[in-house]
Amino acid sequence: MAIRWSRWSPRIALVPALLVTAVAFVGSIGWTIYISLTTSRRFPDYEINWDEWLRQYERLFKDGAWATSLKNLVVLGLGSTLAIILGFILAAMIEKEKRGEGFFRTIFLYPLAVSLIVAGIVWRWMFNPSLGIENFLHELGWTSASFNWLAAPDTAMYGIILASIWHGSGFYMALMLAGLHSINGEIWSAARLDGVSVWRLYIEIIIPMMRFTFLTCAILLSLGVVKAYDIIVAMTNGGPGSSTWMPAYFTLNAYSGRSNIAYASAAAVIMLLITAAIFIPLVMVTAWRVRRREAIAK
Amino acid sequence: MPRVEFQNIAKQYGRVTVLDELNLDVDDGEFLVLLGPSGCGKTTLLNLLAGLVETTAGKILIDGRDVTDLDPKDRGLAMVFQSYALYPTKTVRGNLQFGLSSQKLDRTEIARRVDWAAKLLQIETLLDRKPSQLSGGQRQRVAIGRALVKNVGVFLFDEPLSNLDAKLRTEMRLEIKRLHDELKHTIVYVTHDQIEAMTMATRIAVMDGGVIQQVGTPDEIYEQPANLFVAQFIGSPSMNVLSARVESDGGKPVAILDGFETRIDLSGHATGDALAPGTAIVVGLRPEHGEIGAADRPAQIELPLLYAEKTGGDATLFLKTSGRPFAVRIDPAAAGGVRAGEAVQVGYAAEKFNLFDARTGRRI
Amino acid sequence: MTDILPLEPVRRTFRDYPKKPRKIRGSSIAILVFLTMCALFIAIPLYVIIVTSIKEMSQIIQGEIFSLPTKVTFEPWWKAWNEVCSGVQCEGVKVGFINSLMILFPSLVLSIGLSMVTGYALALWNIRWAGTFLFVLFTAAFVPFQIIMIPLIIMTGIIKVYGTIWGVAIVHAVLAMPLLTLIFRNYYKDIPNEIMSAALMDSGSFWRIFFEIILPMSGNILIVVLILQITSIWNDFIIGLYFGGIGTKPMTVILANSVITSRGEISYNVDMAAALLTAIPPLVIYFVLGKFFVQGITAGAIKG
Repeated sequence: MAIRWSRWSPRIALVPALLVTAVAFVGSIGWTIYISLTTSRRFPDYEINWDEWLRQYERLFKDGAWATSLKNLVVLGLGSTLAIILGFILAAMIEKEKRGEGFFRTIFLYPLAVSLIVAGIVWRWMFNPSLGIENFLHELGWTSASFNWLAAPDTAMYGIILASIWHGSGFYMALMLAGLHSINGEIWSAARLDGVSVWRLYIEIIIPMMRFTFLTCAILLSLGVVKAYDIIVAMTNGGPGSSTWMPAYFTLNAYSGRSNIAYASAAAVIMLLITAAIFIPLVMVTAWRVRRREAIAK
Repeated sequence: MPRVEFQNIAKQYGRVTVLDELNLDVDDGEFLVLLGPSGCGKTTLLNLLAGLVETTAGKILIDGRDVTDLDPKDRGLAMVFQSYALYPTKTVRGNLQFGLSSQKLDRTEIARRVDWAAKLLQIETLLDRKPSQLSGGQRQRVAIGRALVKNVGVFLFDEPLSNLDAKLRTEMRLEIKRLHDELKHTIVYVTHDQIEAMTMATRIAVMDGGVIQQVGTPDEIYEQPANLFVAQFIGSPSMNVLSARVESDGGKPVAILDGFETRIDLSGHATGDALAPGTAIVVGLRPEHGEIGAADRPAQIELPLLYAEKTGGDATLFLKTSGRPFAVRIDPAAAGGVRAGEAVQVGYAAEKFNLFDARTGRRI
Repeated sequence: MTDILPLEPVRRTFRDYPKKPRKIRGSSIAILVFLTMCALFIAIPLYVIIVTSIKEMSQIIQGEIFSLPTKVTFEPWWKAWNEVCSGVQCEGVKVGFINSLMILFPSLVLSIGLSMVTGYALALWNIRWAGTFLFVLFTAAFVPFQIIMIPLIIMTGIIKVYGTIWGVAIVHAVLAMPLLTLIFRNYYKDIPNEIMSAALMDSGSFWRIFFEIILPMSGNILIVVLILQITSIWNDFIIGLYFGGIGTKPMTVILANSVITSRGEISYNVDMAAALLTAIPPLVIYFVLGKFFVQGITAGAIKG
């Protein structure tokens, strides 16, 4: 029998993607995990000392900068949830008040088109103590105002949170708007006929209906926080001291700053584990939703 | 034109068996309609023939050639889909040409065939339009044209008229029939609409539960349904079925209807004659065969009127029984005189009733 | 097939009624005020970057960050484009601009070509392990870059593209592949089954169906993905930083080097001009093709 090309050509067309996945993703992850067990420094050294194969990880958790990084991960994660809340409020308001919808949407979403490096540079400039917003507030007569957040270790993260909210709230607004649009229009009419107040409508009906949108937003935000790097480099470059280090920054610093690829790999593996911890609920939620949609379709 | 043969076809999706040991021959030049309710396996059977779905077991022959493992395009058939499936980005001409240029035909031949099909279907003026600029009926014509240009012997139709409104449907029905009469292709046509089946088919295969219940000409299917399923599936309103018992009345077999005093004289019936007393049977009476007020028929039924439905051209009386209402279709002029609750007497001629074995459901 | 009597249905014209004026309620005003304040907050950085970039340093050092320039000057723009230093190289951000463009085209072609065909094969052809592969891709789309970075550096080194434009472009394509494949696959999944069946009966050829039927139907998603990819490649920093060599670093890296690690006297107006120049290409795309941009980022986010 002749070869049935109709059966083979789609499989052949998938070979490049399979190769990329196998080599660049699956293989590379394995490779990095392997390197994290070695004592490689500038160049990979593939010998593992099985007596202390977790050496890099032990070092990592004794490292003060790593502890700071993990702490900042939580701080930025919690702080950025404001972006989700703001996004929802903006979406709800735009949805209710149709006037100027296009205009506001355009404004709220433009930060997404701006690179985080540019965003960080602008925010750093605005945080400039002698020439930036602080100075502006002082000149207005509010002399006690302090906006020099980036210079102090205990407030620098707040500066980064503020810039993150500025950058991200439009994104969550777009997701929330999509969620709001998918709510059946008759619910609003029914609520109006029932005379339900706007607050109760949102708190008792709309927000519960949008719980999956909220969950998706929260998970995407967490994944974004784990990856946060550009904004740190642009705003504080990790400083003052190591007060604004984040896992991604720590990992890349271990690679290029300390030239220790085994140590960097170990930090990357922990990043992967954190991502997995966030990602698995996403998979479960997605699978559940798909199943539910199919059940409804039946 | 080729013959199509299905030999011992089976199809399973995972553990679910959709078709099993199915045999069917479609003769050269025949217009075969696969008719059945949704989920009966008729579309699966068509897709197996088209090669869009792989068979689990069995063989499909077209013109004596085993095509079971061939690609759809190599089977020598063309198909018209329910949603027309026109390529939205191509013009009508592009739609007609796509299959031909895949066959590496030369350009003049392609142009000749496109012109021929366009003329035949009266779509010459639409050739440069996109599908989105066409009406439903025009799309349907293009879809048929796309099949015609391929110049193959076997045509498959998958519920092609179900997306059209009632008036267009009647028009296209005639059109397809006309094309078949002119071109004499072998056609396999899937539908759940019995009117389409009755008007167009040379033969109908009635399917249910993945099994072919009966194959026959429209007249055979209507007049001599092979079993209770076919009897009740064909005809609207569907056939009235009443369970009964055969008894001997002075040597003549009669059927006593359960719940009625009525006796039906079976001696005039072609096959009812030989029934042994005591046999449980089902009597099927078509609504349109009942005669109001006729007192001298072998089957007489007298029931109170539940309600009457007039549809303009005719009227249906629904008579009260212990179970499903008994339907009788009559001339609307005759329906006016009867009021709800009044008894109506309906008579049936001997050759008009159908008898089925109560146990197997098969025709006696 | 025409009617015997083509009767026109009865029609009538309707009169125009004057528009009722829409009432503005208190709650509407409150909402609009709040939205305007938020819009101001979001718009301020853009305003600041623009005005600072056209001010003279003499005005900037007076500390009026929000005031309009007393004298508009485009010298900072010229300096940023031509003179700004990245490390020891003082040729302005234009070097980065050219590099970014040169990275952009091959990586667009590679990433979109690869993921389009993959998405098409997975969505419309019967492949038994498609579900498993999609799940792996879904996972890969979320993997942090750091976990695969070091092996990628080693491998691009082995195939001798590390530090070149091609190296950066290939890494972009690899990283974008899972997400873009999922986007294309979800788009193609909605193409009616029967169109694919018709194409199978007409041609049956994987590539012919792709180029003649599917590709012409992909216009919309192609624009969405194109915009998504252009902005994310243009705005990328990490890949450019770690895979770009001397003279092949993209604009963001040049910008970061010149602004963040520069020593000596700081010209804020030049910094802002350099930042603005870097931000202009994606901003232009955003303001011109905003609808597709939003579709892109939400398509990237909501999957499944």
